[in-house]
Amino acid sequence: MTDEPAIRTRGLGREFAGRWAVRSLDLAVARGELYGFLGQNGAGKTTTLRLLAGLLRPSAGELAILGLDHGRHGRALKQQLGFVPDTPPLHEYLTGRQYVALVASLWHVPRRDRDERCERLFALLDLADAADELCKGWSHGMRKKLHLAAVLVTAPAVLLLDEPTTGLDPVSVRRFKDLVREQCRAGTTVLLSTHVLDTAEQVCDRIGILARGVLTAEGTPAELRARHGGRSLEDVFLAATGSGDGPAAG
Amino acid sequence: MGLLRADLQALANLPATAAGRRQLLGTLFGLGMLGALWWSVVATMHQDPHLVAMLHRSTHGLSLPTLLGTALLPCPIAATWLGLALAQRQLFEAPELLLWRSAPIAGWRAPLQVLLRASFLSLLWASALAAPWCMTLLAEAGAGPLAYCLLPVALVAGTVPLLAMLLAVQIVLVRFFAGRVLRLVLAATAALASVGFSTWLLLGLFGSAEQRLAAPATTGAPHLPWTIEAMATLLATAARGQLEPDALRQVLGWLGLSLALFWFAARLHPRAVERHLAAESPLRRRRRGGWPTSLAAVVRRKELAQVLQQPGALLGFVTFAVLVFALADRRVLVGPLLADRRLPAELAQVAAMATLWFLAVMLVLYAHMGRLALWDGPQWSLYQSAPALPRTILRGKLEATAVLLAWPLLLVAAGGAHWYGASPRAVLTFVGIAVGGTLTALGVLAVVGTSPRLVQPTDGAIAQGGRGFIAALVLVLGFQLALAPALFAWFELERHLRTTRLDAATVRAFAPWVVGGALLHGLVVAALGTALGARNFRRLLAPR
Repeated sequence: MTDEPAIRTRGLGREFAGRWAVRSLDLAVARGELYGFLGQNGAGKTTTLRLLAGLLRPSAGELAILGLDHGRHGRALKQQLGFVPDTPPLHEYLTGRQYVALVASLWHVPRRDRDERCERLFALLDLADAADELCKGWSHGMRKKLHLAAVLVTAPAVLLLDEPTTGLDPVSVRRFKDLVREQCRAGTTVLLSTHVLDTAEQVCDRIGILARGVLTAEGTPAELRARHGGRSLEDVFLAATGSGDGPAAG
Repeated sequence: MGLLRADLQALANLPATAAGRRQLLGTLFGLGMLGALWWSVVATMHQDPHLVAMLHRSTHGLSLPTLLGTALLPCPIAATWLGLALAQRQLFEAPELLLWRSAPIAGWRAPLQVLLRASFLSLLWASALAAPWCMTLLAEAGAGPLAYCLLPVALVAGTVPLLAMLLAVQIVLVRFFAGRVLRLVLAATAALASVGFSTWLLLGLFGSAEQRLAAPATTGAPHLPWTIEAMATLLATAARGQLEPDALRQVLGWLGLSLALFWFAARLHPRAVERHLAAESPLRRRRRGGWPTSLAAVVRRKELAQVLQQPGALLGFVTFAVLVFALADRRVLVGPLLADRRLPAELAQVAAMATLWFLAVMLVLYAHMGRLALWDGPQWSLYQSAPALPRTILRGKLEATAVLLAWPLLLVAAGGAHWYGASPRAVLTFVGIAVGGTLTALGVLAVVGTSPRLVQPTDGAIAQGGRGFIAALVLVLGFQLALAPALFAWFELERHLRTTRLDAATVRAFAPWVVGGALLHGLVVAALGTALGARNFRRLLAPR
């Protein structure tokens, strides 16, 4: 393992029709670290994840994941990346198992590994019963779990998760947290964006808070609270995004 | 009025974005082109004094109402198509239904909005297809302003009542009989309506212009629906500066009655939607594992699975088979070829099958265009974030399309053998030529279906760039252009036949060369098309 961060951005920015969604973002996420992105709606979290996933081209700055960048090492880098967007890109008329087979083939996963991981993840995420049914009738939560399972079947070195717990039931959220921590222990670097402060506080090693495309605060949950006089993460968030009216009473 | 205002606002907002402008321009340009093509066909017909005189005689001087009735026929045809194919989905599966159903508005308001949307679209189509012919007829009859003022009334009355009735019937059916069988029936009807409309349009635009005028001229007044007849009478009398009260009463009465019936049915809509959503999905396949790991093979299998596991798509293929057999049975477009005494029987049969194959492929080619990129719109981010080679994904998709394009080939071969009595040798020759043609179609499809001008990548997804009409026109023109050498060869043969008699032995001797030429041509176009398509596909998958 080298000291080179798994994810490193310098002055990263993305402009849409004259408006900067992300500005001057400097980020360094260590290998095996679980980094949480917090921010209001439209703060630039999804744009950052899309830039890291290689779906968007930066308007400014540079980024490197595992020492590779999308411009020069596009496919080699993507082989190491797993991206779970907010809306899972499922095919309505494929079954869950068929969808996993499609994703696995895109990432060149051998059949034996695919089937072995698929069975384990389906059991873990409680998808086994629905695995051979068309995705068409699946709930949002099941869709998210299926896409997460499909991405994990590819054994990514870096996992990018956009609002992964939205729409999941409490049991699934718990299993998701355990699964993500397990992935990190196994050496996977995880960067997740979320609105759920509790989740961020419980699972993330470090947290970055984005406001209007700019990283306004960064540190471990304990460091962030200490910097703001030991207040809750909610107060830290409100202060860092400039949208709070001070600490909540009680 | 809130829903109507929202729809109008959405329409008004279209020019504000690049995608909206493309959609708007594409639709207007497409419909304008269609109207111009339709008008040019009609103008050609009316310049034939022999046909016009014959029509005048056969209708006992009533040629104007007869022709106006024929001209207004696109109104109910467009309404039937949109009512069964588009409005049906809107009625029960529109994404906005969730909002409409949860809003504190009357239960009939949502279906009324669907009717308004469908009416708007139907009127656009009806205006493009019927108005040019009606205007030409009225201008030739020296009609005054009254007739022109009544033309919009005729278009509305020809379109909206039928649409309202179709929607009302569907609501009532779903309300009381929702379930697996009805979903299948509705999906089949929608597929039939779509294919039927495309066929009618293709035959209208590319069929012989004289044939269409000759039909009423030789058989007398064609049998028109009574509503169309009333509107034709109304317009014909208005062309003489008179208003026919009976006809006007009939037209307005029909409009009022259909809207009243729709209103009664619309009140059942909330319960109908509930029952539709509760009804089981019609087809479900249970399969475990067994999928390959090679990317092209998985993509090919995925495309085929989406057809086999999607009831609507599967029914579309069955409906298409019925349609092709019907075309073969009725010898549409190929009657003169088969009756041509100058051609040896085998040659006539091969030419007829090739013509029918061309028509069949034209009907499905546009649908396959979406398969290459557009239908993966919401899933595009998956391909973008994957480390796979774009050309491998495209190869899988083209392989699946090739398998699906074998369907028209098989149908025509079977139809040709059955209805034209083609010998096994003639069928084999046709299959060889059609395989070359299929390769040509794939080559054209690979380029057009991935063109970044026609398919636009958006934020993590993909959307239609140049709207359907332009894409369809480009595809049809591209396909025709790619087949130009074959057409040129056929015209040369026809020219040769004017002076020389061709015997069966010569046809047999040349058949392998023709098949070889077709295959070679197909391979060249497919190779070029795939190379260009792969470049396009890479550009579509590149980060923005």
